[in-house]
Amino acid sequence: MHRVQENITVEDLKIGSELLFKRIYEDNRNHFINFAKKYHLSQEDTIDVYQDAYIIFYNNVMQGKVEEFTSSITTYLFSIGKYLIFDKMKKNKKTINPDFDLSLIREKEELEDMNLDLDQEALTTEQVLLKKHFATLGKKCQELLTLFYYRGFTIKDIIETSEYTSENVVKSAKSRCMKTLKERINSNEQ
Amino acid sequence: MNNQELLYHYFSNSLTPEQESVFKKLLETDAEFKAEFEFEKGLQKAIKSHETDRLKAMLNEVETKINKRHNTVFNYRNLAIAASIAILFGWFGYNTFFSTNYSSLYEDNFTEYPNTVYTITRSDDANSIEREAFVAYETKNYQTAIEKFEALSADETKDYLNFYKAQAYLGMDNIQEAKGLFQQVVAKNESFVAEATWYLALIAIKEKDKSLAVSYLEHLMANYSYNKDKAQALLKELN
Repeated sequence: MHRVQENITVEDLKIGSELLFKRIYEDNRNHFINFAKKYHLSQEDTIDVYQDAYIIFYNNVMQGKVEEFTSSITTYLFSIGKYLIFDKMKKNKKTINPDFDLSLIREKEELEDMNLDLDQEALTTEQVLLKKHFATLGKKCQELLTLFYYRGFTIKDIIETSEYTSENVVKSAKSRCMKTLKERINSNEQ
Repeated sequence: MNNQELLYHYFSNSLTPEQESVFKKLLETDAEFKAEFEFEKGLQKAIKSHETDRLKAMLNEVETKINKRHNTVFNYRNLAIAASIAILFGWFGYNTFFSTNYSSLYEDNFTEYPNTVYTITRSDDANSIEREAFVAYETKNYQTAIEKFEALSADETKDYLNFYKAQAYLGMDNIQEAKGLFQQVVAKNESFVAEATWYLALIAIKEKDKSLAVSYLEHLMANYSYNKDKAQALLKELN
């Protein structure tokens, strides 16, 4: 189990293999559940937190915020998970010890040191609309815009990893996708 | 570098420090640029949220699989536990907790009823089939005995035949046939009613039907003297 993880690099993860994504999730799951036991969350809440922590970690990797693993994947997951657990307990108005707030601050700082983006803000109305219309775009547009905005790829990166052959092709494809998206949003708003 | 290029670099996190200062200035001074930036920034969040939903769905799939796997393991484990309890019960609990070991009670009390009706050695062989039947019975050739008794059954004057046929079936461990025949004996008030009742009680014990066994034994003790002491002892064991 650990052998697999030791060999995984940020670059491996960044390829975006679903298999690897699922594998790392499964490999760390029991360890996380055991770690979360001391916070007395329900099994359902623990799984929720683990999934959120895992996705936050993964999003950060995919968005290039984790350049290389300075800590093990487990450490990342536990740090994010701990923060989310405290956050959840705070929302549930449940404290487990007097230094609760202190721990929360410490966790957040630790995560900021790791340069992780927790991104827990809810979407604005405009963003919800964007999300809705983004989902109606063709597969190619979705992929291209995802490479641009989620993965943070440069045009050069996109040429290297996709079927687009030149900078101009990428640029014009992107502007067509953006035009369609804007049109759909505008027609929705009217 | 045009405004669009600046935005490309912003979202690929590759603005040089000089470009960054131009970028900041434009945000303050160019409303159109700011609007485009806000739009793309919003799109970035929307795509991230879209991506998060997709990832979450994948993880839920994984969870479903894990739960299925656990349930299967859980079921097997339950089955194993149930089996262990059943074995413990059968082996240990049976003897220790309930102290009624029906099959040993049956074995202890069961003796094949001797042939008291037909003297094999008698010289006249008027009914050779009946003779053959009892010879077979006495030599424990029960299958042959049953066949011979079957052949004789038409002769209704011999009302002990059902009883012995039932005995032969008991000898072959064919409880159901034996039971039916004993019940006939009792119902028709044929010879060996008391004896048939006794054997019916034993069959009930073998079948672990305690209340039926008790009622047969009580009936036997109340109405007949046959095996009275044994019936009493058996009742004690059962209660």
